Amino acid sequence: MQRGIRMGDVEGRVAVISGGTRGIGRAIAEAIVREGGTVVMSGRDAAKGERAVAEMNAGDRVMFVQADAKVREDCERLIDIAVERYGHIDILCNNAGGSTGNAPVVDLTDEAMQDALVWNLWSTMWCTRRALHYMIPQQWGRIINTSSVEGKCGKPGLSIYVTAKHAVNGFTKSCAQEVGAMGITVNALCAGAIETDMMMDAGPPAAESMGMAYEDLLAWFAKDAATKRLCDVEDVALVAMLLCSEAGAGITGSLISIDGGTAPY
Amino acid sequence: MGKLDGKVAAITGGTRSIGRGIADAFVREGASVVINGRDEAKGQTAIDEIGAPDRIAFYAGDAAKQATCEGIVDFAIERFGKLDIMVLNSGGVLNTAPVFMMSDEEWNLEIDWNLNHVFWGMRKSLQHMIERNEGGRILVTSSVEGKLGKPGIPGYAATKHAVNGLVKAAAHEVGTMGITVNAILPGIIETDIVRTTGPDSAIAMGVGSYDKLIEMFTSESAIKKPNTVEQVAAVAVMLASDAARNMTGCMFPVDGGTMPY
Repeated sequence: MQRGIRMGDVEGRVAVISGGTRGIGRAIAEAIVREGGTVVMSGRDAAKGERAVAEMNAGDRVMFVQADAKVREDCERLIDIAVERYGHIDILCNNAGGSTGNAPVVDLTDEAMQDALVWNLWSTMWCTRRALHYMIPQQWGRIINTSSVEGKCGKPGLSIYVTAKHAVNGFTKSCAQEVGAMGITVNALCAGAIETDMMMDAGPPAAESMGMAYEDLLAWFAKDAATKRLCDVEDVALVAMLLCSEAGAGITGSLISIDGGTAPY
Repeated sequence: MGKLDGKVAAITGGTRSIGRGIADAFVREGASVVINGRDEAKGQTAIDEIGAPDRIAFYAGDAAKQATCEGIVDFAIERFGKLDIMVLNSGGVLNTAPVFMMSDEEWNLEIDWNLNHVFWGMRKSLQHMIERNEGGRILVTSSVEGKLGKPGIPGYAATKHAVNGLVKAAAHEVGTMGITVNAILPGIIETDIVRTTGPDSAIAMGVGSYDKLIEMFTSESAIKKPNTVEQVAAVAVMLASDAARNMTGCMFPVDGGTMPY
């Protein structure tokens, strides 16, 4: 028997995290660095990126690339830069995502739906496709997609986000089957509601689209959970670290709920 | 510093296979562990192999019996002062068969072993954890067959589905008490038990041989190979840790991409 496998063993691994300067991505970045890995994180705002690098204080093991997840060239450049700088990419966290312009379907704009699909789904596809070009030859890789409880459920007024995250889950399962025998795993983390910076930005207008106050929206999410509270970014990072480890080799195509018992499956 | 320093765990069927892997990992992470099995000699061998004599104990008994499932809880509390983590791991089939050939004896055995054992152990553990009011962790070893349903193992599929339902309901009952209830759903693992019962199961399932049985399971996975005990143990450590306080009612897959959901 193999003895002594520990989760979180990412010593020497290189990870790319889209949207890694804050929220869930930042928590995963910090966990990977803490466990000995190297992180290349992206974001649209250079100032926020520089601040995140300074705060993480990990020297050469953390790097920021200014890149917009909604732009294909930026997604591909992000992956290429990581490989040029560190020689390989082992872990890809497709974490950037969100939605604006949430509204009931009857009032939904084409632009809002298109934006949500590009932000959540196309960005995941662009980064994954590029990263697989490097992971397949090395026959090792971990792809972790930040999905949502809304990738399994469906709240009213959030159809663009719900649709995009369901699509991410489908992409995850299909891609996992394609590369499963190559030492590459592909999983989705279906997180419950977390009051991240982004939630605080996007939550109030989303709540308005659902006809309620922001606080009521948060309470609604908590009410659906067995724990009756929101989740934390550290909850998601915990599972991400397990998936990144050698012990994570047997977990792929999974849509893992980190939601306090909200999703029914 | 271990992830389970100071915790006390009990594991039904912990002398070998998945339960043993979880016991090894828990001890390595700092927990005190009670393992269980029917065979005293195997229990002593496991204790000797695991080491850490102050943090490991064996409780003899058949996990298909209510007295064992409840007794191990009392034993853990008596031996180590409390119970933080209950791993309801024992289970399997003895003489499985297609429905039209299934005996009442086998059917009842599988219900007792796979489902009632989990209920008895869970109820007793929760009574202790709720009264103690310091949280807790219930882990159940389920299976991919808790979501699927292969021919020839109707009792196993039925009871593992039932266990998953029990886990989800219990998770909601105790979710605000700091107690989480989760199931781990492994794919095929070539454990001692599978090697022992596999040949007969292969015949019952109509696949002919043990090797064909393993091939049938792995061919359905994305990774095209069996899972390992260590992979399940790593998930168990994570779910048992304090950090996993917001994961409950979860059907955690360790199946190499076998299940569709």
